[in-house]
Amino acid sequence: MVKVDGYEVPEGLYYSKDFEWLKIEGDKVRVGITDYAQKQLREIVYAELPSPGTTTKQNEPYGTVESVKAVSDLVAPVSGTIEEVNTEVQSKPELLNEDPYGKGWLLIIKPSNLQAELANLMDFNAAVEWHKSLIKEGK
Amino acid sequence: MRKTQLYEIHKKTAKMTEFAGFEMPLWYKGITEEHLAVRNSVGIFDVSHMGRVIITGKDAASFLNYVITNDVTVLTPNSALYSVMCNENGGIIDDFVVSRLEEEKFLLVPNATNREKDFNWLVTKAEGFNVKIEDVSDKVAMFAVQGPNAERTLQKICTADLSKIERFKCTTARLADVDVFLSRTGYTGEDGFEVYVWNAPLDKPYNAVKVWNAVLEAGKPFGIEPCGLGARDTLRLEAGLCLYGNDIDENTTPLEARLSFVVKFQKDSFIGKNTLLKQKEEGVKRRRVGLQMIEHAIPRQGFKICNEKGEDIGQVTSGTFSPLLKYGIAMAYIQTQHAQEGNIVNVEIRRKMAKAKIVPFPFYDAEKYGYKRKTSA
Repeated sequence: MVKVDGYEVPEGLYYSKDFEWLKIEGDKVRVGITDYAQKQLREIVYAELPSPGTTTKQNEPYGTVESVKAVSDLVAPVSGTIEEVNTEVQSKPELLNEDPYGKGWLLIIKPSNLQAELANLMDFNAAVEWHKSLIKEGK
Repeated sequence: MRKTQLYEIHKKTAKMTEFAGFEMPLWYKGITEEHLAVRNSVGIFDVSHMGRVIITGKDAASFLNYVITNDVTVLTPNSALYSVMCNENGGIIDDFVVSRLEEEKFLLVPNATNREKDFNWLVTKAEGFNVKIEDVSDKVAMFAVQGPNAERTLQKICTADLSKIERFKCTTARLADVDVFLSRTGYTGEDGFEVYVWNAPLDKPYNAVKVWNAVLEAGKPFGIEPCGLGARDTLRLEAGLCLYGNDIDENTTPLEARLSFVVKFQKDSFIGKNTLLKQKEEGVKRRRVGLQMIEHAIPRQGFKICNEKGEDIGQVTSGTFSPLLKYGIAMAYIQTQHAQEGNIVNVEIRRKMAKAKIVPFPFYDAEKYGYKRKTSA
């Protein structure tokens, strides 16, 4: 686990510029939001997620998370079919703040075009550099 | 961007945001924590972005009674009231608290968004009245100390006996050895005070900083939190208080906004009276209501409201997740025939319909929270 100015960026994951992470688990992927995202949103009080069987498309919204004052779209890091949805974060959205890379995961997706789409994501090293630039810009 | 006297402190400790042209704190520790500090104990807000206008002169009271809808003649010195100021069509130019400092001296506190608009309106309408209108906003800082422990906090550093100051009463005093004016008013639904630090110009903020730090120190045993605009908004919404620009504006009248308690029709004349009187006789076509979400969803400004048949019957003007109640709440305008308390309506949230119930203000149980609470903190 690496911390970039207080934001956790674990190794072995892929990252999208929409603040989502992706972990390859066999022929499926697990996705969620990054530590940086949850810290920007703070106090997440509601997560609206699609049902299993729904398809996702890379770079397109699939759900929303809401903090007390703001709504943010969840944007899919890959295309595919949703196999599993973390229903626990729907009843306990604070898990997204407490453990974004663990208990706060959102979806398990069966990807349809993973190899090609991975090229549009950042690996660990690129994600660390990207986090540094985000912090520098004060976003 | 404009700044308040405390900008340097906020910048170091808060997440900042732009509001009405000011760079203001959105939150320090987080909206929920700050919100609950105020509901359960005490919090302090920098509200120096709001305006402060002093009206003096022989005609001060009669002038105010002409431009605002409420009646300042009932005020004795050191007391305050809430009012709206309307245009000729009965549209709300602003809502604010007016305090009577002396027989011929009043303090009016416009919303930040309306500082220039109100001042210009007042000056234009003052023709023929013997009054002087002075904008002292940049010379005077203003804080709100709110919550059931507000009195206990301030009493530690205040020369006046605050237990003698009733709600909507005021006093001059020394607070942390600084000259202030205190009114037992606020925008959170809780007991509390608004503190005006007289000698605190933007370029010499020393007195403002001194009072701010002293209140935080005095409130430490009560767990005081500095609070940002985020908590200010969620607190006022739970209490059912209007935000100018969201819930009221020049296209809404006080009768539609259910603020008729500040419209005194028995006064001889005031701007907007004829239109409002006509509206009162004919009845309003829509009215402001509270919505409590039944389904697990958060209503936001601009969301459409439909009846069971799917017909458009209104719109959300402010909405949030209630940090105290832990569900979505909103203010909305709904067509009068659908606006009965207890009615179930549909709020359109991202193309889906979510059920909500029309409820009275405040949203919380007034026996447990707010200035009328029966339990002590």
